[in-house]
Amino acid sequence: MSANPAERLVAKDVCVGDELPPFSLPVTSTVIVSGAIASRDFMPAHHDGEFARSQGAPDMFMNILTTNGYVSRFISDWAGPEAMIRKIAIRLGAPAVPGQPLRFGGTVTHVFTEASECVIEVAVRAANDMGDHATGTVVVTVPAA
Amino acid sequence: MPRQRPRTTMTEPATDALRESLEKYIGQPMGPPSTAPDPVNVPMIRHWVDALDDRNPVYLDADAAAATRFGEIVAPPAMLQAWTMPRPKIAGIAERGGAPDDIVSDNPIVPLDEAGYVGTLATNSELEFERYLKVGDQLHVSTKVESISQLKTTSLGKGYFLTWVYTYTSGDGDVVGRQLFRIFKFDPSTIDPAMLAGAS
Repeated sequence: MSANPAERLVAKDVCVGDELPPFSLPVTSTVIVSGAIASRDFMPAHHDGEFARSQGAPDMFMNILTTNGYVSRFISDWAGPEAMIRKIAIRLGAPAVPGQPLRFGGTVTHVFTEASECVIEVAVRAANDMGDHATGTVVVTVPAA
Repeated sequence: MPRQRPRTTMTEPATDALRESLEKYIGQPMGPPSTAPDPVNVPMIRHWVDALDDRNPVYLDADAAAATRFGEIVAPPAMLQAWTMPRPKIAGIAERGGAPDDIVSDNPIVPLDEAGYVGTLATNSELEFERYLKVGDQLHVSTKVESISQLKTTSLGKGYFLTWVYTYTSGDGDVVGRQLFRIFKFDPSTIDPAMLAGAS
């Protein structure tokens, strides 16, 4: 995994239709458990594969806080340290399970200026071999100039 | 747990007795308001940053953060809910189905479970941030049931969509963020295997 936050994205760098640099997360048990415990979510389905399977899941699966965390990271790795995320709205689908990489992609859908800030709307999607894990919209602001 | 989100195929044309009994919960809290066990702090931020390998410098590097609009270290925005997660009782957590404690609140999940709608699938999360949190912010959270759908027939059987909103405030009472959360409470015995196979 390489995280290399952009130096400083500003309004002139962004156009509708821009694709964010894609990111593939190799999902492992360690990735899932690390995120669950860092978010203080102790539900067994997020660290105990046997428990998860007894509930009908294919394996232990990522909790929603961690999914939101990776969506946030995907955006700020592109938009840089001046970016402020205003909204992360996602629909949840296929679970993120060990052994199935999660592929993140994003496209800029709206750009406008408001109160000396550049407001960017990005359509995001994180998918694995079972289908869409999360799809939705992120709103992020960066300096106008 | 089903592998796909439920696709609605039919909405009951009229209300039913169970749904009518749930009407009283709309606008009410899901449980009592709570206060984060600890204020926003660097050790929890560091734990999160390492767990997710998120190297945005504004989360841990005071000098880098000072040069940005934030002016000081801020917490990763997606940690919002983590600050107010209840302290778990680890013993017996699996037997409680993952519930962190044995406090049962008077909310719509109880009658839905009792009526056989024991399946739970999260379908939507919408986080909004008014500002990023700073070290020392003491968070409070309250909840409110926003809506309960009519009975739906879906690819995951029959059930009700339940939506509630968390509102997060800091010590001085200003709203710092909100999260809308929607789940589908369904009766696993009503899943039509043919429809599930067709779900994609």
